[in-house]
Amino acid sequence: MRFVHTADWQLGMTRRYLGARPAKEAGGPTGEAQARFAGARLDAVRALGRIADDAGAAFVLVCGDVFESNLVGPDVVARACEALASFRTPVLLLPGNHDPADAACVLRRPDFARRCPPHVTVLDTPGVHEVAPGVEVVAAPWRSKHPLTDLVGEQLAALSPAPRGTLRVLAGHGELDVLDPDDDEPARIRRDGVLAALRDGRVHYVALGDRHSAWADAVDDRIRHAGTPEVTDFDEVDPGHVLVVDLDEHAARVRTETVGRWRFVRHDAALDTDDDLDALDVWLAARPDKERTAVRLVLRGTLSLRQRTRLDDLLAGHGHAYASVEVLEPHSDLATVPDDADLDALDLHGFAADAAAELFAAAAPEQGDAEARDALRLLHRLVTP
Amino acid sequence: MRLHRVRLRDFRGVHDREVVLAEHGVTVLQGDNEVGKTSTVAALDLLFDAADSSRRADIRHAQPAGVDAGPEVEAEVSTGPYRFVYRKRWLRRPSTELDLLEPTRQQLTGAEAHARVTAILDETMDRVLWRALRVEQHTAVGQADLGGQDALTRALDRAASGPTGPGTGAGRPDPAADDGLVARAVDELRRYRTPSGRATGELRAAEVRRAEAEAEHERCRAALEAVERDVVARDRLDAELAGVRARRRAHGDEVAALEDRWAALQSRLREVDAARGRAVLARERATSARERREARDALVAAVDADAATAAETAAALAVHEAEHVAARDVRDARRAADAAARAEATAARRAADAATRAVGAARDRAELADLAERLRRVADAEAGLAAAERVLAGASVDHDALAELEDLARDLLRAEAARDAAAARVELSAPGALTLVVDGEELTLAPGETRTLPVAGSRALSVPGVLDVRVRPGLDEAGRDDAVRERARELAEACEDLGVADLEAARAARRAADDAARRAGEHRSALARELVGHADAAALRAAHDAVRDRLEGLDAAGAGDDDLAALRAAADAARTAAEDAAVRADEADAACRAAEDAVRDADTRAAVLAERAADARHAHARRVEELRAARADEPDEALGEAETARRDRARDAEREHEALAAALADDDPDTVEARVVNARGVAERLAGEVARLEREHAETTGRLQAAGHQGWHDQLAAAEAELDAAGREHDAVTRRAAAARRLHDALTRHRDRVRRSYVAPFRAQVERLARIVFGPSLSLEIDEELRITHRTLDGTTVAFGALSSGAQEQLGLCARLACAALVDPADGVPVVIDDALGHTDPERLARLGAVFTAATAAAGAAQVVVLTCTPERYHGIGAATVVPLAPSRRPAERGAPVRDEALRPADDLPAAAPGTVLDLPRAPRAG
Repeated sequence: MRFVHTADWQLGMTRRYLGARPAKEAGGPTGEAQARFAGARLDAVRALGRIADDAGAAFVLVCGDVFESNLVGPDVVARACEALASFRTPVLLLPGNHDPADAACVLRRPDFARRCPPHVTVLDTPGVHEVAPGVEVVAAPWRSKHPLTDLVGEQLAALSPAPRGTLRVLAGHGELDVLDPDDDEPARIRRDGVLAALRDGRVHYVALGDRHSAWADAVDDRIRHAGTPEVTDFDEVDPGHVLVVDLDEHAARVRTETVGRWRFVRHDAALDTDDDLDALDVWLAARPDKERTAVRLVLRGTLSLRQRTRLDDLLAGHGHAYASVEVLEPHSDLATVPDDADLDALDLHGFAADAAAELFAAAAPEQGDAEARDALRLLHRLVTP
Repeated sequence: MRLHRVRLRDFRGVHDREVVLAEHGVTVLQGDNEVGKTSTVAALDLLFDAADSSRRADIRHAQPAGVDAGPEVEAEVSTGPYRFVYRKRWLRRPSTELDLLEPTRQQLTGAEAHARVTAILDETMDRVLWRALRVEQHTAVGQADLGGQDALTRALDRAASGPTGPGTGAGRPDPAADDGLVARAVDELRRYRTPSGRATGELRAAEVRRAEAEAEHERCRAALEAVERDVVARDRLDAELAGVRARRRAHGDEVAALEDRWAALQSRLREVDAARGRAVLARERATSARERREARDALVAAVDADAATAAETAAALAVHEAEHVAARDVRDARRAADAAARAEATAARRAADAATRAVGAARDRAELADLAERLRRVADAEAGLAAAERVLAGASVDHDALAELEDLARDLLRAEAARDAAAARVELSAPGALTLVVDGEELTLAPGETRTLPVAGSRALSVPGVLDVRVRPGLDEAGRDDAVRERARELAEACEDLGVADLEAARAARRAADDAARRAGEHRSALARELVGHADAAALRAAHDAVRDRLEGLDAAGAGDDDLAALRAAADAARTAAEDAAVRADEADAACRAAEDAVRDADTRAAVLAERAADARHAHARRVEELRAARADEPDEALGEAETARRDRARDAEREHEALAAALADDDPDTVEARVVNARGVAERLAGEVARLEREHAETTGRLQAAGHQGWHDQLAAAEAELDAAGREHDAVTRRAAAARRLHDALTRHRDRVRRSYVAPFRAQVERLARIVFGPSLSLEIDEELRITHRTLDGTTVAFGALSSGAQEQLGLCARLACAALVDPADGVPVVIDDALGHTDPERLARLGAVFTAATAAAGAAQVVVLTCTPERYHGIGAATVVPLAPSRRPAERGAPVRDEALRPADDLPAAAPGTVLDLPRAPRAG
């Protein structure tokens, strides 16, 4: 039996560093890169649909977080339904922590129900669902944003071993306790229980969502996170894939297919010399697919006024090509310290020189007077037009 | 910079002239109008500024009229380390030539030469100061704009920082001082802040954007939170609804059981009520039977009481009859006593009246006698008065007439005395007794006696028989005698008029009249005295007659026995007796009235007692009849039996009721009822709660469905992105704005500090020079722009603008010369003054001469060039080199050689010294 395991489509997600537009125009994806990013998420869904169709999969199992929120707009819902309509393979949608099956659940909303293609099933009731003869999916949907139990463990505990000839896939959403050992979180999935259920044949595959990076359990590789099909953040490891799973009662053969086309890249750079600036320039220039790449820079070091001006020019220049280039201020430690060369370059005399000297003294690293540095940069600009 | 010589060819009206200037101190170029003084300065500007290819208007104007030649200027200049000769010609065969003499000899031409000179001047000379220190013709010598001058700034910097000061960049232009850095910093600041410090432009826009983004974000966040609250509320409502419905079902069973029990209790409750009703009725009947028996007892007692009352009233009436009779007897006795007392009182009153009348008659008789006596005295007085008035009427001599007579008599005596004094006297003396006759009278002279006879008229002396002597007075004496006679005659006439014989008679008549008047007065006062109380004598008489008539009416009983005091005493006694009798009569009357009242009271009481006795009798009769009727209706024994029977029945009924009620109370119906009522309330409340929860559930569901279409997540995401972007932009703009302000503040602060430090040395220098003009008490205030703002002279401070034109001109000149004295010789530029000081009086002009000398005395002080057509203005300058300028005409126009005049040296300078004008003859150039 073959099916496609995916999760965390996060449709309707926006990223602030992809641009904004003034509030009065708000109401949809904002900014040009934002709109392309939203489109890319839908493209990834369509791509995985094609993969499923081409692979002859029995179904596509989406393990939670189909939508970024239960409160996405009707346009997001409509586009998602359009993308799902392009599938020929049946689709199973599990409510996750972002779109739990609560009173506001988007998967039950009239606008979704009206547009939802017939081959799409919403697994909003927990328990065993027979999706094909001899194939059962055990759903552990989120019923609220803050469940107080291990939903997966609860379903597994209620199961008896699968009848012979029946393959059971558990669809769950959430972190395993080994991945995020947070004792205070009651909804953590207990790995021991999952492993036991696999051992005694109550289920044959545990399809999980919530972790945007692809992951397989080291002991039993039938416990898997599919990861998000299109990147959503800088700290994700190897996102952009779906899993094509060939399952029998003893093992699962998993093939990874890439559908994501965007990259979120974090780059740490030490900037102290002109050479460092050159290197950063080269690095930025060398990235492929800049229009689908968001770069987050963590910069450390000490620059002179002139170098700082050059850095600003450099970032501004590359920023136009990329979807986003931002310097992560909280993690950066970039000091602008005017040096003697800066002072000489100003070529000031008389009272202007006195004023510049005062600002230089205030801008010294031990003073930490950022405003004085800014004032010096302005002076630099005014004197050297 | 120093100018050594300037040569003009075909420049305006100048054909060809070279002016050599003194290297130090003052050079005065003096000459008539249009001789080309101003042209010399203008030519220097063109030489330095305009390329030889230029065809600017001022260059075209420099071309001499009607001559086909280009204007040409040549100057020898030293500046900084350089010394060069620079020559330019425009319009016709333009050319530029530079002959650099120092530091290294070099020759350049064309644009290269122009560029080199421009570079040299930029490097070594403050061209703005060169302009600022110039005073143009026809313009008031105002304040020079010295605030931003490099050379001056350096000089002041040096002065301000002392001789060992830094001297930064000496000899090098200071770009920050004048290239508008501060202005650009201000422009940068104005991008973000208005002069009053309010945010504007980008900063304002960023603030507005952030505020709007915050508001939008807050709106979306609130909406999202509301939805999330609704989600939670829906879950809660689901759970609550299930719980309430279950409770409602369970409660329904409990209510049914309680209702059954309550129904059974209620029927028994009704039985108890009926028993209680019966008991109450029986008790009421027993009570009425007892009451009837008690009424009968009361009636019997009342009959007995009424009989007693009737007997009492009859006895009281009988007792009263005796008292009644006694009272009537007393009344009759008092009536008789009263009549007797009244008769006595009447008799006494009559006796008193008679006594009073006797007293009145006696008093009238006394009055009549008095009045008769007064009438008699009045008659006497009237008779005396009539006699006196008759005498008075007969008197002819009044006081005035008597006085006139007295006067006339005095005049007569005076005339006689005058006559006698002046009259001749005849003294007669005889040795022996002699008798003689004088005027017919005989006169005997004793021996030795001398007798003097006045001769008033003619006198006849005769010694009888011996001698007749007739003595006649002279004419004067006769006149005096006439006067005497006249007076005598007047006196006699007057006496005759008055009817008296002579003065003595008049006097006697007067005295008689006065005496009569006095007597008349006495009689009148006697009359007035007697008539007091009456209008006149007639009234007195009328009173007398009235009294007499009154007396005649009385019987003359008491006449003659008029002892008034005795009569009065008798009258008083009679009156007292009458009053006593009246009192006794009143007392008898009161006693009689009291007795009458007592009789009336006794009558009334008798009537009351009689009525009371009748009433008592009637009441008794009625009560007896009533009792008889009642007994006929129901005998007393029947009443007693009925009472006993009904009391027993009532007791039975009450005992039955008590038994039933006790039995019911054992089953606690109150508690059962309370529980039933409560159970019904709970059921109602549960129903209400279910309805409320269902309504809330429906509302929440409706809201959630509506929220699903709002896309709040998308809106919030957009708002967050916008808020983030707006925040970043705001931070960036704020930083830029803060930097702009910081830079602006630092620059202006340092500039102001430097300028403040410049003020002191500049002011010292200006004051040094200005005190020469205005005296030692002068002091000046100078602002940071190096402008004179106030002048204080002799303790009086005046703003610069309020000073007279002359004073402004003099201070402006002092300021410029102070600059010339201050700046470093290497930086110095010539001060050019074109015909200034038109407002300055001769005294100040002389002092200004000293200023010029003082300003240029220092070694290396700047050149000062003065252009004037009125050389006397500058005669006071001690160390001036005077260069007279004469018209430089083309050879063809030249009427007479001028070289001799032109070369005339000023003062005692040698001819070859600077300050000469060489008017060089040369061949006219071809066009």
